[in-house]
Amino acid sequence: MRVKYVLSEVLVGLWRNVTMTVAMIITMAVSLTMLGASGLMYRQVDNMKDRYYENIEVSIFLTTEVTQQERDDLGAKLKGDPLVKEVIYENKEQAYERFKEMYQDAPDLVSAVKPDQLPESFRLRLVDPEQYKQIFDKYTGSAGIEEIVDQRRLLDKIFNILGAVQNIALVAAMVMAIAALLLVANTIQVAAYSKRREVAVMKLVGASNWFIQAPFVLEAVVAGLIGALIGFGALSLAKVFLFDGSLRDLTELLTPVGWSDVLIMLPLMAGAGALVSAITAWVTLRFYLRV
Amino acid sequence: MTKTYPKASRPSLDDVSCSIEKGEFVFFIGPSGSGKSTIIKLLLHEVTPNKGRVIVNGKDVTSMRSWKRPHFRRSIGCVFQDFRLLPNRTAYENVAFALEVIGKTKAVARRVVPEVLELVGLGGKEHRYPHELSGGEQQRVAVARAFVNRPLILLADEPTGNLDPDTSIEIMRLLDRINRTGTTVVMVTHDSNIVNQMRRRVVEIESGRIVRDQARGVYG
Repeated sequence: MRVKYVLSEVLVGLWRNVTMTVAMIITMAVSLTMLGASGLMYRQVDNMKDRYYENIEVSIFLTTEVTQQERDDLGAKLKGDPLVKEVIYENKEQAYERFKEMYQDAPDLVSAVKPDQLPESFRLRLVDPEQYKQIFDKYTGSAGIEEIVDQRRLLDKIFNILGAVQNIALVAAMVMAIAALLLVANTIQVAAYSKRREVAVMKLVGASNWFIQAPFVLEAVVAGLIGALIGFGALSLAKVFLFDGSLRDLTELLTPVGWSDVLIMLPLMAGAGALVSAITAWVTLRFYLRV
Repeated sequence: MTKTYPKASRPSLDDVSCSIEKGEFVFFIGPSGSGKSTIIKLLLHEVTPNKGRVIVNGKDVTSMRSWKRPHFRRSIGCVFQDFRLLPNRTAYENVAFALEVIGKTKAVARRVVPEVLELVGLGGKEHRYPHELSGGEQQRVAVARAFVNRPLILLADEPTGNLDPDTSIEIMRLLDRINRTGTTVVMVTHDSNIVNQMRRRVVEIESGRIVRDQARGVYG
């Protein structure tokens, strides 16, 4: 009976103030979508790092007028370097093959470039990719070297962009969360006010504190959970229509967003939504109801 | 025992000492602002004294933690001048509500509520809403609600303040009947008629001090 009472109070409470409830759910949903998106982004960057750092290379491009002697010296020096795990020499032909493969979608570009124009290079795998700087310092200025390029640097730029987007999503989630928080507090105040007579009687006859507070707290939690479900729906739609739809090429180039990544955001969003609502409601009641 | 409210220039109750035996019927009388209602609040643990102790049913209320208050209140019934009934519930539902929110089942309510409504003289009017009842009848519902849990103490804060003299007398008869079941009744009032008719113990308070404590007293 008590559970039934509390549940019916929750539904009545949500319905009584339905415009506020809807506002609360929408802000909660937007905030949680942002949270889910930034969580997704975080996993995405993680996955990408795993995938790309494995194959990371440092490329040492040689000048076009490099002599045979300089090339052999450099090759020997790199092979003997304790920082270097593996050295592959790539001549102009191989570079051209690679170029053709990379830009197969742009035949005009490929036809405009002759194998001669592409530089020879040494491709290095480092023992520890973090030690790029030492390689760079050691070999810069050596005869015959045009440029030393760390692919990690290039990837880091992508990661930085993704990280920035993630931070923006997180900030947006937080700002919306503040709005949601205030709406929850206000909704609870209105609910407590409209039930002030009942609450007064309950306090008088000695109803336990949890029994008085539970309907209000659960009201907020239910709204938070509905918000989380809507947010999860939005995230799923984003996966279907955005990641697998219009942004397909981009996501495949990076790493595809899997359903498991999206699904794991549901408990995160639901947990965050329910917890934030419950705590806000409870704190509001402590000030407003003084039970 | 002393109680001073914050921002008040003088104590609401100043070094007051008073003990009430089980089963007694006591009037607290005095002019407005004399501190009568503070006594009710102290007994309900709504406020705590600045100095001294309040002991109710053998328990020291002064040091009671607030989370124990709900359970403590179940042993005290309470009636007020403004009835404090829920307007959207019938007489039956108002009384049943008090039982259900402290965890009693609907079956218990179905058994006990008609009984207590009969006791207060509202048999046959269980399904009326407060606005369909007279002031006296509403106060009867309030008394029924206060008494339904068989409290050891019944606190009444000017229960006749909103009622005409005849109706007031009826409510007093009802409280008297409840007192005869062994329930201690503490009533705050400034209705001299009633005090004079009942001839029970009278404690007079003035400016926060007890100026008279008389068995079988009159308003004076």
